[in-house]
Amino acid sequence: MKIHTLRAASVGAFLLLWEWAARVPISFNFPSPGQTLAALGGLLVSGALLRATLVSLGSLVLGFGAAVALGVPFGLLMGVARPVGRVGRVYLDLLIALPTAALVPLVILSFGINVLSSAAIVFVFSAPFVAMNAYGGVRDVGPRLVEMARAFDASPAQLFARVVLPAALPMILAGIRYGLSRAFVGLIVAELLLSPFGLGRLIMLSRSMFEHDRMFATVLWTLLVAGAALAALGRLEQRLLRWRT
Amino acid sequence: MADVTEARQGPGPAPAPVEIRIERVSKAFGSTQALAEVELGVRAGEFLSLIGPSGCGKTTLLKCIAGLVPVDAGRVAVGGRLVTGPGRECSLVFQDFALLPWATVQKNVEFGLLLRGVPAGERAGTARRWVGKVGLGGFEDAYPAQLSGGMQQRVGLARALAVNPQVLLMDEPFASIDEQTRRLFQDDLLGLWSEERKTVVLVTHSMDEAIYLSDRVAVLSPRPGRVHQLLEVPLPRPREVADVRATAEFARLVDGLWKILRKLQ
Repeated sequence: MKIHTLRAASVGAFLLLWEWAARVPISFNFPSPGQTLAALGGLLVSGALLRATLVSLGSLVLGFGAAVALGVPFGLLMGVARPVGRVGRVYLDLLIALPTAALVPLVILSFGINVLSSAAIVFVFSAPFVAMNAYGGVRDVGPRLVEMARAFDASPAQLFARVVLPAALPMILAGIRYGLSRAFVGLIVAELLLSPFGLGRLIMLSRSMFEHDRMFATVLWTLLVAGAALAALGRLEQRLLRWRT
Repeated sequence: MADVTEARQGPGPAPAPVEIRIERVSKAFGSTQALAEVELGVRAGEFLSLIGPSGCGKTTLLKCIAGLVPVDAGRVAVGGRLVTGPGRECSLVFQDFALLPWATVQKNVEFGLLLRGVPAGERAGTARRWVGKVGLGGFEDAYPAQLSGGMQQRVGLARALAVNPQVLLMDEPFASIDEQTRRLFQDDLLGLWSEERKTVVLVTHSMDEAIYLSDRVAVLSPRPGRVHQLLEVPLPRPREVADVRATAEFARLVDGLWKILRKLQ
């Protein structure tokens, strides 16, 4: 109850700050919360926003889905097979440290400009984190649990399925959740730079037309979509890890 | 021997207890000699404690019996079978319980049965029976984090016994449990042991515990560990903590053990 009040208060404070920023002339045509919400309503009614969202979500699902489908098994393999882990983590460290946006021109060169190239960028943004956490999860499995299973004469497959995987699950899920937030960053970066479709295009289009209220409305909408997706994943995580409370 | 092993999966009668033979067993970790030519025989159905100064290799010896630690030299045989790796003869109880935190009490007790391919229905029945036997009836659906240390170790004991082993190996099982809980638990352990008649090897730091529970106490010397002395505990059974501890005989035995250990420090 208290935390809800606090959250509502923080949103209120943010809107006030925004309103204030719109009234002092920070910059030419800085849209107020009211103007932005009106533009958001307009964009929703016209259907432009939903169409752009669907296109963007297509890239996101494709890229992030691949990041989870490949990143988790690769991370697990790295954790189980030490040599793979030692070599693999060098590349993951590089990918994580690299300003990933620098790879965008390379991706355009390889895939051209289409939904697949946005998906590829989403993948590059999120997959290293997903894999890294799965790897860390396996490495952090309690040696006592492994010893216990060995004492019961567990086969390597049993040890993996019954001890290693469930023990690593919390970190795997945390990696997936962080990967999703990275995926949204990658998505918008890709669309801002590639431009021909999705929410990123809508942002750029509004900007070039000096429709700053629509631009802000699109940014706000992207935040809402990302926030909803993260919250849904968080709830799924809580359900899967009920034993922790 | 193989079909005996198969027959032990079910909730059938307990298999006959077996003896353990440890012959000239040596073990080094790197340049540290943990065990040096250990000779020890544990009789079938006996309750034997291993005690000794810290780092004397008690736990290592226990893990050699369990097949978790390969010996460098010498041999360990459980019930006539040479130990070359983990087998079905022995079950282990761990000092830190080693419970699966994501599994309920019921699922934790089922764990060994699950690994051995016991069908789900039989598994659930056997595990439920053992949960009851260690005094945790009603806690089947609780998670380990919701239980006290003593209760968690009861889960560990139930898990070890549910697979119906011939030998129960316990690595300081009461070390992380408070005193009152420990005494009640020790009585329950003796009660279960008198029903099941398993061969038990217990690693402990506590002289009281060693005397109270055991038929014999093996005192190990400091590193490299070897059996320094074997002490008979002629206290009559069945024993009850409260009664036994009050006797002069108990005090005399603990004092005798202390005199041996003090010389080893």
